[in-house]
Amino acid sequence: MDEMTLDTQTAAIRVDGLSRWYGATQALAEVSLALDRGITGLLGPNGAGKTTLLSVLATVAEPDTGQVSVFGLDPRDRSERVEIRRRLGYLPQELRYHRHFTVARFLDYIAILKEMTDRRQRAEEVARVLAATGLEGQARKRIRALSGGMRQRLGIAQALLGHPDLLILDEPTAGLDPEQRLRFRELLSDLPGDPLIVLSTHQADDIAAISPRVVVLLEGRVCFTGTPAELAATADGRVWASGQRDERAHLSWRGGDNLWRNVGDGPPDGAEIIPPTVEDGYLLLAHAAVTR
Amino acid sequence: MTEHFSSGHADRVLLAGYAAGAVDEATAWSIEAHVTACTTCRSALSAQVDAGRLARNRSVLHVRLALGDTGRTRRWGIPDHLLRLLAATPSLRRSWLLSVVGVLAVVTGEAVLARYSLGGPVRGNPSQQALVPFLLVAPLLALAGVAAAFMPWFDPAYRLVAAAPFSGFTLLLVRATSALAVAMVPVACAAFAVPGPSWLPAAFLLPSLAVCALALAAVTVVGPLAAAAAAGAVWVLAVLLLAGAHLPLTVVQWHGQAVAAGVLLAAAAVLFLRHDRIELGWMR
Repeated sequence: MDEMTLDTQTAAIRVDGLSRWYGATQALAEVSLALDRGITGLLGPNGAGKTTLLSVLATVAEPDTGQVSVFGLDPRDRSERVEIRRRLGYLPQELRYHRHFTVARFLDYIAILKEMTDRRQRAEEVARVLAATGLEGQARKRIRALSGGMRQRLGIAQALLGHPDLLILDEPTAGLDPEQRLRFRELLSDLPGDPLIVLSTHQADDIAAISPRVVVLLEGRVCFTGTPAELAATADGRVWASGQRDERAHLSWRGGDNLWRNVGDGPPDGAEIIPPTVEDGYLLLAHAAVTR
Repeated sequence: MTEHFSSGHADRVLLAGYAAGAVDEATAWSIEAHVTACTTCRSALSAQVDAGRLARNRSVLHVRLALGDTGRTRRWGIPDHLLRLLAATPSLRRSWLLSVVGVLAVVTGEAVLARYSLGGPVRGNPSQQALVPFLLVAPLLALAGVAAAFMPWFDPAYRLVAAAPFSGFTLLLVRATSALAVAMVPVACAAFAVPGPSWLPAAFLLPSLAVCALALAAVTVVGPLAAAAAAGAVWVLAVLLLAGAHLPLTVVQWHGQAVAAGVLLAAAAVLFLRHDRIELGWMR
């Protein structure tokens, strides 16, 4: 179901007029969204408000104004907030760890925080997420000895504990090498139970590859909601190839074929128009927001 | 259990029970540990359990071995999962404990020097005035350990704590109790060393409990830093006022103990009534 046909009254997540301030800085400005099960990619530059929005959805930050409903539950109400947390898997941006913990101890600790008090159930769950993230051989390793990519996979592993119904992943592919990114896409695609997944990224190709829905957030505002194809289509006729850099383009770069790929509002007459990508659509939206 | 392994191998009835998932947890763990090392029993088990399940069981066993056992402490009646939570308590780290011991060594040394007039003349009651730094610091060390239990910046994974359904109050109580217990040991030892009355080591317990409980109660009303600072300020003010009257020991004598008991009861009542306000890491 895409955004156009999504019933905002029955959507699993409903956000209406959400604003959040940090001192004098407004991180989110009147954000309204409706999200349903499946994967939604959140795209935006640094400081666009992605992390703040995900923090609110993950019930760790309270909105200053506006309404949020997750599975029909209100995160402002304490008991409903706990209910949301029982169904939540959360990977914060730049997750920090107890570095003296081993991988297994850390996951066991998080499993306890997710109210798994039975030892055997916890061990089974820890073994499952270790296998899912390719960390089986690292169970006894101390976190301080892990590479950045392994730590990121550990962050993803802890989010998967307890088969969450709602997965909030803030920059999950940061620090992953290309193969690990592909394995991550595979992992998300194979998750049972059709959970609702919201992930933020700078990588437009990640969005194009795994998210049937994309939300572009710029300067705290939602600038686009739709499918990746629809985002790419916003750049129709505004991407062209040339033998040298075109000064009329907002952005130009030389591709592997030695031709310049130009993205801008006004291609010259007779320019070789080429099919746009999700990244082109996103770049044009971001440029429009900056020059607004 | 040993009768099932009498020949050095697990008997077939036991393996069949394990394959059917009909054995208790302790037996399952024994079998898993045995088959990891015994190829004969592994082969016998393979015939009864599919390879996928066996591999999963082996993975679970590896995780359980990596986690270790908390058997002895579980026998004391403390649930395993609460013990596991202690591992993330900041004030139980070696570096923290060394800091506590270091601070106590300094104030104890200062008290000893002042008592024997090596640190210059002391006004008023010399034995009491020499104790002022120690009286100031001892409960504050316990308070610092408890405060570290609820201040987000002492917990690197606090965002995960905030997003988890586990009761923030339970987590705080587990951490605070362990922090307080651990801090009181070096405080009591140091109190033996300072030149004071013989009852001094025991006299810190109730005031320390009261100051920590006051901070916990305050954290249901104000932010964690303000709560810890307010509780600490109450103690410092009391000690300094009494020191000004040349009666600093009064803060841990009968009158002081009575006031501490009152504060402890009041704080406990506030905690009982408002414990659901405690959410570690929740950002308003």
